[in-house]
Order: sequence, then structure tokens, then C-alpha cells
Amino acid sequence: MTGTVEPMEAAHHERPGPSEPSLLEVQDLGLRFGGVKALDGVTFDVRRGELFAVIGPNGAGKTSIFNCLNGVYRPQRGSITLEGADLLRKGPAEIAGLGVSRTFQNLGLFENLSVVDNLMLGRHHLMRTGFLAGMAWWGRAKGEEVHHRESVERVIELLELEPFRTQPAGKLPYGVQKRLELGRAIAMEPKLLLLDEPVAGMNLEESEDMARYILDVRDRLNLAMILVEHQMALVMDLADRVMAMDFGVPITVGTPEQVQSDQRVVDAYLGAAS
Amino acid sequence: MRLPGTTRGPKVHGLMTRRYEDDLRLFGSGKAKLGLLALVLLYVFIPFFLTSDFWLSVLDYAGIAAIGALGLNLLTGFTGQVSLGHAFFIGLGAYACAQFGGPDELGLPLPVWLFCATLFGALVGALIGPFALRLRGNYLAIVTLGLIFLGEHLFRNLKDITGGNSGTNVDSEASFLGLDFADLSFAGENFSFNQGYFWLIWGLVALVTLLVKNLVRTRPGRALQAVRDRDVAAEVIGVQLGRYKVGAFAISSGLAALAGALFGSYQQFVSPDEFGLVLSIQYIAIIIVGGVGTVFGSIIGALVLGGLPGLIDKYSDSIPGVSTGSGDSGFISVFSLNQAIFGLLIVLFLVFEPRGLAAVWLRVKAYFKAWPFSY
Repeated sequence: MTGTVEPMEAAHHERPGPSEPSLLEVQDLGLRFGGVKALDGVTFDVRRGELFAVIGPNGAGKTSIFNCLNGVYRPQRGSITLEGADLLRKGPAEIAGLGVSRTFQNLGLFENLSVVDNLMLGRHHLMRTGFLAGMAWWGRAKGEEVHHRESVERVIELLELEPFRTQPAGKLPYGVQKRLELGRAIAMEPKLLLLDEPVAGMNLEESEDMARYILDVRDRLNLAMILVEHQMALVMDLADRVMAMDFGVPITVGTPEQVQSDQRVVDAYLGAAS
Repeated sequence: MRLPGTTRGPKVHGLMTRRYEDDLRLFGSGKAKLGLLALVLLYVFIPFFLTSDFWLSVLDYAGIAAIGALGLNLLTGFTGQVSLGHAFFIGLGAYACAQFGGPDELGLPLPVWLFCATLFGALVGALIGPFALRLRGNYLAIVTLGLIFLGEHLFRNLKDITGGNSGTNVDSEASFLGLDFADLSFAGENFSFNQGYFWLIWGLVALVTLLVKNLVRTRPGRALQAVRDRDVAAEVIGVQLGRYKVGAFAISSGLAALAGALFGSYQQFVSPDEFGLVLSIQYIAIIIVGGVGTVFGSIIGALVLGGLPGLIDKYSDSIPGVSTGSGDSGFISVFSLNQAIFGLLIVLFLVFEPRGLAAVWLRVKAYFKAWPFSY
């Protein structure tokens, strides 16, 4: 077990420079559904410890990129590599084992299970107990439960989920559910975390809280993150680099300042002046 | 550190725990331990006080149903895979019992034929499992419905094994370590067939309950529930859907076959008519009435409904409108009344108490925890 969920000194985060080696490399990704081009020629890379944001109007293909990264969709063209390992021909469960975790735009929690069980499920791929050992409460079953329960407790502490431990996830307030999803994703001890609209549907205070948790997680665990979000304030303030997309095609990649002042991005959102 | 005046260390209430290990104990609190003791006492002494063959047979059938219901609840309640084919696996177990345990066949001893029947059911279940990878919900239910008809056809036509339409005797030996449960004598005391089978069946209920409870509170069981609640998210966090769906089918079918083996051995005779759609629906009624997705609910549901056919049969004379013989003038036969009651219970519980008796029990418990202060 790696100790990435261990509490660490919160290091001051500096933007990863271009010299940092890439963690994730996406080359010329192309995804089609019949005649519809969902993604076309998408190329970008994410460095270690970087917070990389993807923006674009509705239907630009942001969530499709996530679905390709975790193997839910099979792109027809291009390549995706994480630390040199090819992700393209692998299934979602295998990719999770390689260190990619994600949160869902419309919540992907296991509603009938408690907060602790949801977080324990995040640690599923780090555990080994099989059907027979579990049934017999034999061998590693008990030790593993205790051990991973401790790791889960650190996630609970980091995201301040203490009041909700035994409550079913489906009954929690929306903001807490979003936080729990973030928790489940980091309980997986990923190398790369995909955040799909973490503040969608939240008011300003809730968004601010979530932003703080995201920064906390990044600083403590030193993860690379890809953030898809519509709330520009959040993207521009948090992201190290931003990629803007329109109709499945990347328009530009750069620092938030560069992207914000790019005329093509403004056109994509507001429509080009003719 | 020991406080002065205490001789036995701190008293453990089990309400608060200091270690995660204690949190994981099944019978951690004093109350739970008392409950366990009460259950053990009931298990040992019920056959001494309840010697009526009729009431013991009601409990024996309920115990068999409890094992089958635990299997179905694991698949349908915990993994969310609706199955109408449970009766097929029960039938498999019953015939497997005759084959593995019958003196003219393999003649294996009790634990071995129980194990073989379970394993056989599990293997067949694992073959059916892959269908669940491509289908879900109603479509899967229809495939499993097909199993019922496939099974009935096989049971009727493989005459060498199943005896065809007329059925077959199941005369497997029910003795283990010198204890013959069919004709139990222990410490100079002789017990009836029903008394012996009560201990055999409910002993196995306890064992299976423990195994299933352990399963659902550890890694594989959590994965099953994740598949039920949201399969895409489960896969993205690393749960291999195929492995867990097939695993759930295998274990569920294995338990159904175990229940079937006990059923065959208890009745000493089985025929294909018993393993039709009606039996599958009875099991679905048991888990719905008891509580879908709860271990406790499978057993409480089986206690309430498992003995129902026997009860209705016995008291049909005093229920108005029920015809008990062929020349009788009632408007409904005993068999149809049974079916109607199961159907009615499914509807009533789904509408008024979808979480079943297990939820009612939790509410009652919560009420008395705060009693006499109801707020």
C-alpha cells in the first residue's frame, strides 16, 4: 500500500513547469457514434501534480474524454498512455487498477450503502479478499477490513465527512454527496483524478467549500487532476492549464489567462461575429 | 490500566468501540450476545417442546425455504439481478441429492452429498451467469424464466435420472458422525424424523446465514451491492462486473441447490411438478415480504411464508369457500388459494412496505430503544 492518503505537510503548490515529465499523454483521439463525431484530433498531456481543466460549451465532448480515459468508451483513433502504459485496449476495472479514478457529473454513488462502505469500495482494487475468504471470514479478510478501514478514516478526516459515516449515501444532502464522491475517488489512491463538474448545481458557498477540498486534496496527495467544469471562476482560479474545446475539437491549450483572452474561445461560447 | 476496584477490566457495552476490529464484530454488544444465546437455546430445545409432527414440519419447510431465500436474496436483493429461475436450481439440488446420496446410486455420506449438490448447483449457475453480463432487469428475468421450462422439460424427460413425470424416491442417508438425523437417538433418547431434521436443517440455516452475512460485509459483498446500485460507477472504481455477476449467480444457485437437496431428502420423494414457476414466485414473495437486500429478511420471510402452504393445507377445512376434495363445492382450491395469497402478499408489501418485515423490525427496535420517550 502506498501512503498517499497519509496526512502530509501541506506543501505550497507551485505550478508544474514544462520540464515536468508527463503523466498522461493523449494523442490524436477520435471517437465517433455512427456518423456523429464526438471527439476529433484531441491531443493533450497532463503533468504530475498538475490541475488541468477542460472547458467548452455543452456537447463539446468534455465528458466523452473522461469516458475514453476510463475505458467506458472505446475511441476509434488515437492513443492514451498513463506513465507509458497503454490505456486504450483496457476495460474500466483494469484502468482503475492502474491509477485513474473519477467522479461523475450526475453522481455515481452507491445510494443504499453507507458512507464508509462507499469509501471502502474505493479501496476495492487495493484489496484482495475473494468470495470464499469473505464468506468464511478467513485468512486476510478481517485484517484487510481493519487496515483499509483506517485508510478510509483518513479520507473521512480530510473531507470532513465525520457526521455521516453510517448514513446511506443516497440520503445525504447534495453537497455532501458530491464531497463523498470526491472521497471515494481519492480513497482509490489514484495517480490521476478526473473531476466531472464537481460544483455543478451548487451555490457560491458550496462551490467555495468544494474548491477548498479540491485544493486540499491536490496539495496533500500531490495528484494530477483533470477538471471539467462550467463555472469559469472555479476553472480560472484553480487550473494550471486549460484546454478549450468546441464540437469535439480542441481549440486551444494554455494558462487560464491565455485561454481567457483567446478570441476563438470567446467565439465558441458566444458565437462568432459574422 | 485497571481502575481500582475492578477485577475484570472495563465493562464492554459494545455501543462504543475503541478499535475498528471491535466495530466489525457480528455479536459485539451484550444484547447481541444475549440474542445469540437465546437463538442457540431455541435451536436446541424447540424439538423437545414442540413434538407435534405437523408444527415441526412447518418449521422444517421454513428452514429449507430460508436457505433458498438467502440464495435468492444474494442474487436479487444484493446484486440486483432479478431471477425467476430459482426453482430450477432447487430442482437440480433435489435430483442431485437423489443421485449423489441414494444407496443405489453413488451412496455418498450426508456432508458429501450436501456439498456435491451445492457445488453442482453452483457450477450450473456459473454457466447461466454470463447471460447476466449482457442483459439486465426484465430481460434477464425472461432468460431465467426460460430456465424453469427448460428444467421442467429435462426433469420430465431424463427418466433414468429423474424418474420422469412420476418422480423419484430420494433415499439418501442422512447420517453424520454416527448421528442419523432421520432416526435420531442420542443419550438413550429416541427422536422422530421431524425432530432430527429440525436440527439438521436449522443447523445448516445457521451456517449459511453466517456465511452470507460475512460475504455481504466484506469486499466481495460490497462489490455485489455496488453492482446493484450503479454498475457503471462500480466498474470505473475497479469492480469487475463479470466476475461478480457470475459469482453471485454461482453462490445463489449453490444455495438453491442446497435447499433443494434438503427438500428432496426431507420429503424422500420429488417430482417435476414441484419445481415450476410457482415455486420461483414463492421465493420472490419470501424475500419481498422479508426484506430485499437483507440477510435477516430472508429468514423472517421464510418463517412467515415458508410454512404457509402447510398451514393452509391443514386448516383449509375451516376456511370458507375452499374446496378440499374433487367433489367439493368451494370456489377456490387449496393450491390456487396458496398462489393467490403469495401474489397478494407481493402486491401488498411492494405497495405498503417495500423494504419488508426487516424494516418493520428495525422500526420496532428503534422505538423501544427510546422507550418510553417516543421522541
